[in-house]
Amino acid sequence: MLRLLLQQASDSDVAAAKQIAAEAGNSPVFWVVVVGYFVLVLGFGAYFARFNKSTSDFFFGGRRFKWWLITMSIVATGVGSHSFLKYSSMGFEHGFSSTMTYMNDWFFMPLFMFGWLPIIYFMRVRSIPEYFERRFNRPVRVLATISLLLYMLGYIGIGFLTMAKTLHPILEGTLGWSLMEIIWVVALVAGVYITFGGQTAVIFTDLLQGFILLFAGLALLLLGLDWFGGLGAFWAALPADFKLPLASFNDDPGFNFVGIFWQDAVAGSIGFLFINQGLIMRFLACKSVNEGRKAAAVNVLFMMPLSAIAVGCAGWIGRGMVSQGALPADTSPDDVFTLVTALVASKAGFGFFVAAVTAALMSTVDTLINAVAAVFVNDVYRLAAPRRDDKHYLKVAMMVSAGATVLGVGAAWIFTSFDSVYRAHGAFHSTLTPPLVTAILLGIFWRRFTTAGAVATFVIGGGLIVAGRVWPLTLIAPFSHGIPASESHPYSYIGALYNLVACFGAAVVVSLFTRRRTDEQTDGMTIWTLETARRAFKGGEPNDARGFALPLRWRVEPGLPEGAVQVDAEALQGMAAGAGDLAYVCDKRWWLGGLRSAHARLHAEPHALGEVVLLAPDVFEAGHFQEGRIVIVEKEL
Amino acid sequence: MDFNRVWLPYLYLYGVGGLFFFGSLALVVRSGACDRTRFADRRWFRVLFTGFLWIAGLHLAGNLLALFL
Repeated sequence: MLRLLLQQASDSDVAAAKQIAAEAGNSPVFWVVVVGYFVLVLGFGAYFARFNKSTSDFFFGGRRFKWWLITMSIVATGVGSHSFLKYSSMGFEHGFSSTMTYMNDWFFMPLFMFGWLPIIYFMRVRSIPEYFERRFNRPVRVLATISLLLYMLGYIGIGFLTMAKTLHPILEGTLGWSLMEIIWVVALVAGVYITFGGQTAVIFTDLLQGFILLFAGLALLLLGLDWFGGLGAFWAALPADFKLPLASFNDDPGFNFVGIFWQDAVAGSIGFLFINQGLIMRFLACKSVNEGRKAAAVNVLFMMPLSAIAVGCAGWIGRGMVSQGALPADTSPDDVFTLVTALVASKAGFGFFVAAVTAALMSTVDTLINAVAAVFVNDVYRLAAPRRDDKHYLKVAMMVSAGATVLGVGAAWIFTSFDSVYRAHGAFHSTLTPPLVTAILLGIFWRRFTTAGAVATFVIGGGLIVAGRVWPLTLIAPFSHGIPASESHPYSYIGALYNLVACFGAAVVVSLFTRRRTDEQTDGMTIWTLETARRAFKGGEPNDARGFALPLRWRVEPGLPEGAVQVDAEALQGMAAGAGDLAYVCDKRWWLGGLRSAHARLHAEPHALGEVVLLAPDVFEAGHFQEGRIVIVEKEL
Repeated sequence: MDFNRVWLPYLYLYGVGGLFFFGSLALVVRSGACDRTRFADRRWFRVLFTGFLWIAGLHLAGNLLALFL
């Protein structure tokens, strides 16, 4: 009898919370906020799209931006892909350990900062497949392109599905739309926007959203604490082991520390830093390697811990509400974000949170669609149709963006057959990431890694991964660290360790029995030949002497050769620069983040005109400089 | 809460993760990719090391808060 009464109370609580969400969907205030938010964000991006002059701008944003701009842009991409919905769900079930995946990306940072980032920047590697061709050969490039496109299309599908699941509880009751209908609508909005925006628009849209998302998540935490009546009451409402920052070692097959360490801290971190084409395009948009390092460091050390709180706190608040009887214990974890937000915020506030989350997912999807277009145009189409003009490639990029959107919807449809977004994400991620991660790590850091070894990574490693999926109790069990095998998805996390061992094993064994390429053939493509990369980037000996950044007036000098700037002897001395060094000229206003800036080469002869920098006409054109504004000139290399 | 529940994940994370971190730090120094005669490289080497301690400290603080508050 008591059980029946509790069940009835529980059902009525869920119904009440769902009723609030559905009522919000019928409220004009809610829709005004949602539509207004999207118009604001898209308008913001469209304004900056006019800075696109070429495919380089469309894909890479023109290598000009400051670290803080790129950091916030990465926050929007990271928070968008590791969504509020997913981590609120994990936070509700497992507590503060939902932050684990945001706090374990530092282990491979030395390899990123001193290896991968300088290589892609100095060697002007524009995509992962291009790296594979220059490090190995074209067949390896083809294998990498196939893997990468599947990886990114899968992510686009996950993005569409998560967006649709966020909106589904609201739209199902008001418009009667099914999950697939919502997926098509969000895909249409994403496809139209990215087709006309390009990377500069995406970076600035993400900048805005990075701030808004952190604000939204932390505001939700404050609203939740207010609901409890303060931090003390909230803390007291949580179970003790719920407060630990790391999950239990191996006793829960659905969420265990050691499995997630190998799946996320190792395979996931390398995947995020090294093979995420969207992220690579962000770093290539930085004004310099050092600026990219700053963006990466601030992101991992400060923004990701903050983001972990922002995306998970709805789940923690939900768990506290359960202990206070305001939410039933059997609330579906996937509904927690929407229900908690509906309970603690006003209708307008609820509209803002829903808009912020769906727009963040839109950012992630936009970045990926843009990345698919970049890989297809640069790695497939340019090889088949070289020497066309820029406009032609831009047109193809827009068509590919539309095609990728449709394929993303197809992927989302496949993923709807999984129990949850998290399971679908884990299944495709742990299968597709290890071969790419292995090939790229060994390619950069092991000179002895051969072309045959790279092929073996994809072919033999891929085959062993499939075998592991078919016979998990035989092949993956020895790596299980004592994790019990669940019936439906055995070893879903620790499987990543087996997959990595399989790929690394195939790569190393085959490489030891085949002939490597010489250092001359792989110059600049490994950390052992980075000086070559720096020399190739500059076109001469790098100048590492420390100098100052100087504020100067500017004017255009038509007599200067293309890509050149000219300063006086005193400025050269102040910058510790010489003729032929690379310089960076940027509008003095810091808050522009490098939007009005250009790279140039210092002219051989200093002028005698005092504190003014003379710009070649093409440098002026590239920098979008404004009359009467002071610029900062500094030596780059 | 027992020792294994609280400290085994922490020790594994910074034991195995530390092997990856310090191994890769040694690799970039040995290869010359991180040239410690250059000012910028020296500074980033320090940032990397401090960052490792910062993240390890955050997790340590999280464990202690859960145990004693």
